[in-house]
Amino acid sequence: MPPPMSSSYRPRKKRRVPPSSGTNNNLILDVGDGKSLPAFPLVSFLWAARAGVSTWLVLPLILMAVGLFRWAVGLWGYSGFQIPPMHGDFEAQRHWMELTIHLPMSKWYTYDLQYWGLDYPPLTAYHSWLLGKIGSLFDPSWFALDESRGFEDPRFKVFMRATVVVSEYLVFIPAIINFLRRYTRMHGVPVWSASIALVAVLLQPATILIDHGHFQYNTVMLGLAVASLDAILAGRMLWACIFFVGALGFKQMALYYAPVMFAFLLGVCTFPRIRILRLLCIGLTTIAAFAVLFAPLIVEASGVEAQEYFKDIPQPPLLQTLPFEVKKDSVFYAPLFQLLQIVHRMFPFSRGLFEDKVANAWCAIHTFYKLHRFDASLLQRASLGATLGSILIPCAIIFRHPRASLMLPALASVSWGFFLFSFQVHEKSVLLPLLPMTLLLSGDGGLSKETRAWVGWINTLGSWTMFPLLQREKLRIPYFVMTFLWTYLLGLPPTSLETYRSRPSSGDSSPAFEPNVLTKILHFCFYLAMIVWHVIEAFVPPPPDKPDLWVVLNVLIGAGGFGIAYLWCLWKLITQCWKIDRKAEEDSQKKKQ
Amino acid sequence: MAELYPSLAQCAIVATAFKILLFPAYKSTDFEVHRNWLAITHSLPVKEWYYEKTSEWTLDYPPFFAAFEWLLSQAARYADPAMLVVSNVNYDSWETVYFQRATVILTELVLVYALRRFIKSVPQPNTHLAHIASLSILLSPGLLIIDHIHFQYNGFLYGLLILSIVQARKQSTLLYSGITFAILLCLKHIHLYLALAWFVYLLRAYCLDPKSVLRPRFGNTFKLGVGVLGVFGLAFGPFAHWNQLLQLKDRLFPFSRGLCHAYWAPNIWAMYSFTDRLLIQLAPRLGLPVNEAALTSATRGLVGDTSFAILPEVTKEHTFALTFIFQVLPLIKLWFNPTWDTFVGAVTLCGYASFLFGWHVHEKAVLLIIIPFSLIALRDRRYFSAFRPLAVAGHVSLFPLLFTTAEFPIKTVYTIFWLMLFLFVFDRVAPVAEQQRIFIFDRLSLLYLTVAIPLIMYCSLLHQLIFGLGRHEFLPLMFMSSYSAMGVVGSWVGFMVVYFAA
Repeated sequence: MPPPMSSSYRPRKKRRVPPSSGTNNNLILDVGDGKSLPAFPLVSFLWAARAGVSTWLVLPLILMAVGLFRWAVGLWGYSGFQIPPMHGDFEAQRHWMELTIHLPMSKWYTYDLQYWGLDYPPLTAYHSWLLGKIGSLFDPSWFALDESRGFEDPRFKVFMRATVVVSEYLVFIPAIINFLRRYTRMHGVPVWSASIALVAVLLQPATILIDHGHFQYNTVMLGLAVASLDAILAGRMLWACIFFVGALGFKQMALYYAPVMFAFLLGVCTFPRIRILRLLCIGLTTIAAFAVLFAPLIVEASGVEAQEYFKDIPQPPLLQTLPFEVKKDSVFYAPLFQLLQIVHRMFPFSRGLFEDKVANAWCAIHTFYKLHRFDASLLQRASLGATLGSILIPCAIIFRHPRASLMLPALASVSWGFFLFSFQVHEKSVLLPLLPMTLLLSGDGGLSKETRAWVGWINTLGSWTMFPLLQREKLRIPYFVMTFLWTYLLGLPPTSLETYRSRPSSGDSSPAFEPNVLTKILHFCFYLAMIVWHVIEAFVPPPPDKPDLWVVLNVLIGAGGFGIAYLWCLWKLITQCWKIDRKAEEDSQKKKQ
Repeated sequence: MAELYPSLAQCAIVATAFKILLFPAYKSTDFEVHRNWLAITHSLPVKEWYYEKTSEWTLDYPPFFAAFEWLLSQAARYADPAMLVVSNVNYDSWETVYFQRATVILTELVLVYALRRFIKSVPQPNTHLAHIASLSILLSPGLLIIDHIHFQYNGFLYGLLILSIVQARKQSTLLYSGITFAILLCLKHIHLYLALAWFVYLLRAYCLDPKSVLRPRFGNTFKLGVGVLGVFGLAFGPFAHWNQLLQLKDRLFPFSRGLCHAYWAPNIWAMYSFTDRLLIQLAPRLGLPVNEAALTSATRGLVGDTSFAILPEVTKEHTFALTFIFQVLPLIKLWFNPTWDTFVGAVTLCGYASFLFGWHVHEKAVLLIIIPFSLIALRDRRYFSAFRPLAVAGHVSLFPLLFTTAEFPIKTVYTIFWLMLFLFVFDRVAPVAEQQRIFIFDRLSLLYLTVAIPLIMYCSLLHQLIFGLGRHEFLPLMFMSSYSAMGVVGSWVGFMVVYFAA
């Protein structure tokens, strides 16, 4: 029976504002006779928010939803769970909390280095100190000096997981929201599309799996880097410096971004005309930020006790290689010792070219042509040369055209260069190139099929290369769930082929936004390889004489894909730069007329 | 018709992803209960199902649920045969956990199917309302907390309940509605609470002529009788044949339990107990006689034990009488006005009556009210304003089910997410009422809502910070329980008014 309808029944007025025909749309497919379809599932989830819904409602809901997925991933295993004696990254982070709250700063970078000695920059140390202090309020035995090594307890796990989530919500998420707001406004992208891009960025599987599954605080570093990028968009160069020093001071991996930042800031001071004062300000701010970052450690090291302490322990190798000699009883000995010790801990050049199996050029070459036979210093120089070669073009472009809108492809291509060719790369470092690439989703035409296909493909590939790591930590199911969920939401393979299907009927989408045939073939090959690899890995044991065969295969495919991603980012950068140049030329010609 | 987004399937996919991630979450003893039933039904002959008592969690659901467990156990063999051994008490290998959790997710497809049928059954201009209500049920925090963390099969069972309600909508499927409900009763007898509504509705709308009560339709009566008796015969026949019915009765209706469950369900008796405890404090000043036995009684509330120090004792007969009275009132209206909307209203009110006045009510039973109510909450704004406090109170009252720290953020954030999303959307789409709304009630329900957030904050965080861990633990529980009870009772009164005024 139908519900009774009377004449006084009047449905509330639905405010149906026609979706703005601006860029970054292609979200609504017009199938004729007034019907419209969401282009991919994520669009349907925000379908009701198309118009007339306040950000004050949408944003908290988005943040709660993505938070739930983060916390649920955190229920699973973490790195080194129940694997004595060294455990894993979880234990390393716990150990740093333990050591920073119990020891004077002078001992932070020298204490028992064999057991997870602190090898991250000072901001991580301060962060650990703060978390250790907070954790001690709950239960000091979690961080008892030396006694608590390898400590594992469900309540403690909850605390640690909570620290990651809170750190992320205090740094990464505000930074991303601010960045996206500014970036989308700059590109004239509607707010609704920006919300969609926000969900896509925040559900990026690789970052969630590493930080909330494997256990690390990468999002803090990434968040500071994004905040720096946001400051650049806002034209606040000095803040950009400060935030970027913060990112570097949290995790030295942020160096992947440093060349672009440097080139950009230098470029801003050089083009269109040289501005010495600006350069001076930028330089001084950077130095001051570094000074503030290191100040507590250095000041502490100048104390009498610390001076005595430093005299009796072996010197860091960097101190020995100094061109001048510093006497042990000199006032500068202890601070210098501390500083160089930190730097020595952060950059372990004494380790090999690559650790474990990682999808970069060296590991791939090593598979066919053993690199052991070369001298370590030669390899170092080769790696340095190759890295410089790969980042030269993007850095030069950014230097010559210091435009904020070119930053994302530049950052992505430079960090791909680093990932592929530099020294001592971890599989987790792939998060660095993935972030700027994923942020491209929020740009002009970012949610169009072409960009979505590329960004989705590289994210899938990125988390796929981390599968061997995640699998060791019993994160197999979260890996599949998060990756499938993300690809599903964005309408990508393996869950849907929609992105690669061209729809001639939809009139407004220009062919430029559709992936071309070459892209399609390329992506299909990779998706197919990934699926086949998963099947083989699950059901076929590797040959006994080559137990790592599947991992090596993973690395080879991954390295190939990342190389292509590097080229794509480079190509994006060049074409965008060219477009901007041409537009600027046209504008100036108009003015002349 | 414009398709509605996000579709039911899309939400189900994303929700499933989340539920799979919850595999390693806390699980209550109900997990072991169901594992034990898998083992019993798989390894013992049917005759012994209701006699087996190796584990303390004996089989106490009706035969169809046992058969359902038997079906699952056929698949469980391939996951991990060790879970099917009766003596393997508290066995929880990861295969067992994955298997059992996966079966909850898979059987929930029944709910998705039922909701699809529900959306299709609603005529054109209101389809979007049905769609929204369906999404709210599919994503209900109640089902998430109880099924996917705590562990039960409510998604499947409520799916059948909704299916039966939907089938009651059309004259042509009324028969199936009765049969589905009979099957549901043989799966979980808690639905007996709602049975009177079906009885009255089917009798009036199916067995008697719609125009005159005095003209029975014998053909229909016969079909329904055969169908329902057939279902019961199938379920209980074999046990009757073996003379096991008394044993079944003892297992299904264990009356040795107390008035209130361990955590008080937010009902009248919780308020009653709360008043009693307040009066204990005030008794010396007011000069009231205090029953000393109740003060010292450690068990407080087991049968044969005095549980109230000042207020008069409550017996089972009292609770039955009250439940029955408050079920009959709405049914009288249903008898005279046998429309589908009145029927769903009556089902909801039967749920209310049994939840508020029943004996040993479980807080989980609140879904018995929320889910049928969700189907009609969007009829107009007055329904919605009665629904609002129930949605808050009912879900908040489920929080004590999960007491582990790791699940705390999930239950709170998910519930707040759901409340924010659906209360906002409901508010936006609920049509204007035909009759004048009851002004004061509207405002009260809004006030009630605003109290929720500071209260949750206090009970979950501030209390521990102020008093330290483990001190005065009853205080937050009591606040929550009384607050929720107020909400449920308030929404009940509100809905009664709406129901009888309509």
